[in-house]
Amino acid sequence: MNKAIIVKEFTEIVRDGRAIILFGIIGLLLLLGLVTSFSSESTKSQTVFDARVADTEVFNAQGTKNPHSAAHFSRMAHKPVAPLSAFDPGVSAYVGQVVWLEGHYRNPAMFRAAEDATELGRLENFSLAGILTLIIPLLVILLGYGSIAKEREQGTLRQIISSGTSLRGLLLGKFIIVFSISFAFLFFTIVFAAVTSLSVFEASSQPLTDLFLRSISLLFVYGLYTAFVTATTLFISSLVQEAKNSLLILLGLWTVMVVSLPRLSASIAEKVYPSPRSSEFWEAMDVRLSQNRLDSSSAEYAAAERAVIERAFGKKLTENEIENLAINTRGVRLEVSEVIDSEIYTAAYAELFENYANQKNFRRLLSIFSPTIALQHLSQAFSGTDVNAHEHFSDEAERQRNNIVRVLNEEMIINDGGENLRYLAPPEFWETVPEFEYEYPTLELAWRQSGADFFIILAWALFSMVAMFWLGKGRLEV
Amino acid sequence: MRELLLAQNLTKKFKSNLALSDLNLTVCESEIVCLLGANGAGKTTTINLFLGFLKPTSGKAFVDGLEVSENLNEVRAKLAYVPEQVSLYPSLTGLENLDYFVKLSLDNTLGKADLQNLLDRVGLNETAASKRVNGYSKGMRQKVGLAISLAKNAQALLLDEPLSGLDPSAANEFSTILRNLADQGTAVLMATHDLFRAREIADRIGIMKSGSLVKDLSPASVDQSTLEEIYLQQMRDTELA
Repeated sequence: MNKAIIVKEFTEIVRDGRAIILFGIIGLLLLLGLVTSFSSESTKSQTVFDARVADTEVFNAQGTKNPHSAAHFSRMAHKPVAPLSAFDPGVSAYVGQVVWLEGHYRNPAMFRAAEDATELGRLENFSLAGILTLIIPLLVILLGYGSIAKEREQGTLRQIISSGTSLRGLLLGKFIIVFSISFAFLFFTIVFAAVTSLSVFEASSQPLTDLFLRSISLLFVYGLYTAFVTATTLFISSLVQEAKNSLLILLGLWTVMVVSLPRLSASIAEKVYPSPRSSEFWEAMDVRLSQNRLDSSSAEYAAAERAVIERAFGKKLTENEIENLAINTRGVRLEVSEVIDSEIYTAAYAELFENYANQKNFRRLLSIFSPTIALQHLSQAFSGTDVNAHEHFSDEAERQRNNIVRVLNEEMIINDGGENLRYLAPPEFWETVPEFEYEYPTLELAWRQSGADFFIILAWALFSMVAMFWLGKGRLEV
Repeated sequence: MRELLLAQNLTKKFKSNLALSDLNLTVCESEIVCLLGANGAGKTTTINLFLGFLKPTSGKAFVDGLEVSENLNEVRAKLAYVPEQVSLYPSLTGLENLDYFVKLSLDNTLGKADLQNLLDRVGLNETAASKRVNGYSKGMRQKVGLAISLAKNAQALLLDEPLSGLDPSAANEFSTILRNLADQGTAVLMATHDLFRAREIADRIGIMKSGSLVKDLSPASVDQSTLEEIYLQQMRDTELA
């Protein structure tokens, strides 16, 4: 019986020229999104690759130079293109692509695409995830608003009911056809985005299995979301007497739940947990750094110095051995200061990211009214473009900064007795400074960090199914 | 004879409006009962109560011994229904509509030849059956509706003014099919305004007024003009009341 309903519904859709035009328009939109995503991500990927190569060449070609000058000359940590940013660029345009790994300072990421974009460039924000989130619910609504209401209006519902048909079977048949058509658009879009990402990732080393599992995860959560929209559409269609009323109610829900609330929620979250302005953040940082300076005559400072020296020589040293070593005391002081400041930077950045996490949790709370918000979180998490992924990159870049500065300071500590900055490292030294090899956080971590969002979407999907199969069925029985 | 349709003190109120009052009615196998009456007399309400589209305020409706509201699915499996306006899917052909409704109501599917045979029985040839329903006349739609009922091989057939709007020839064909069905054992309950057809095909004629069955006649006992006189008299009484 379900097959009969599915075949009949499909025949009606195929014979309805308007539906074919609608599919064509959506297909074109997605194709446009795919082309712009591919163009933008492949350019970005190539730029990152070229910039990394150039950065390494310039750093390694410094010749003879004082390591501390090199610490200020610095290196860059380039964020590679995220696993599925061709599908969902998430926050990547707003959080910066490159961290300047400089001595003394933990710099924020710079080169935000959103800042550099021209007016026309803003069209690139037309991401595949954005299109799907807006268009798929609209497609479901247009396919399903009349599923039951139109049958009721034209009298065929009575004909069906009088035939003794199982009403749950009728609803299930209609659910399957509307869901399948919408899911087909999802499937091909995500598969094409994954293939696009594969070609973009030629310049990097993203494992194929990770990309595959991320695509499956995206399909799964977008599928759940589509199931929610389909069940809600059929439920509303079974409640009302006329198809036009069903369409009006559903378009109203779409405007609130898909268009308005997700955008409003970001603004409200920003009001509730305001992000500090850059100038405020750095002023507060200066205060914290100066408050935490250790007195150089204190025992704590002496312990820090000792730890720095022992690490530089790679072994435990006695007081006597330290006194007899020809070490650069300026280098020691610089490294002690790096170690102390790094802890303060870590704490300050952790607070900053905690604020972002609070904003996200607040939005998550609002997803009780709109599962689109939870879907956006999941989509960005599985694409590797959410704030958590950026926090991971920022922390890894800081770890790299600490490594580089330590290697440079230790070069000075070990090889130059005295307390000035006159030591010049040989030209071959620079190649021994470790490269920044960044690996994106695993999909498992993305799942763990997005568990709440997943359960919200799952709850919405189950709730809407219950509404459709029990309450909706009840409306059909009379 | 087996009582396939039975109304026991069946009453239906819509708020303060009494649509059906204490109806007692029986339709046995192989019997055609026509309900006559003005609009609002309670004919359609009676049919809707047998189909379970409405729940009775009091009293009970039975189909083949099963109480309707407690056995909706079983009851509907025993019934076929032809409304005044047979509702079909306009973008499907007559044959596709029949195929769809047959698949919904039967466990077994019928082949294309079997479906066309059904349409041939109700007078819809292959050319007409292969056209989309959006170009069908009312008569052609009624024929598809009747073919759907025939396919179901139901024990009882409920018809709600199926003859209205049909040309005399189509109405005549329709009546013949109904008579044949009844002769094969089907119980037929038909609401109609067509006194002529009612007298021609019915085994019993019920006249309804203000929700009550006021006359239960045998067509053999009245000629056409007497039937018309009785009917008009009842209607005049309604107007005076």
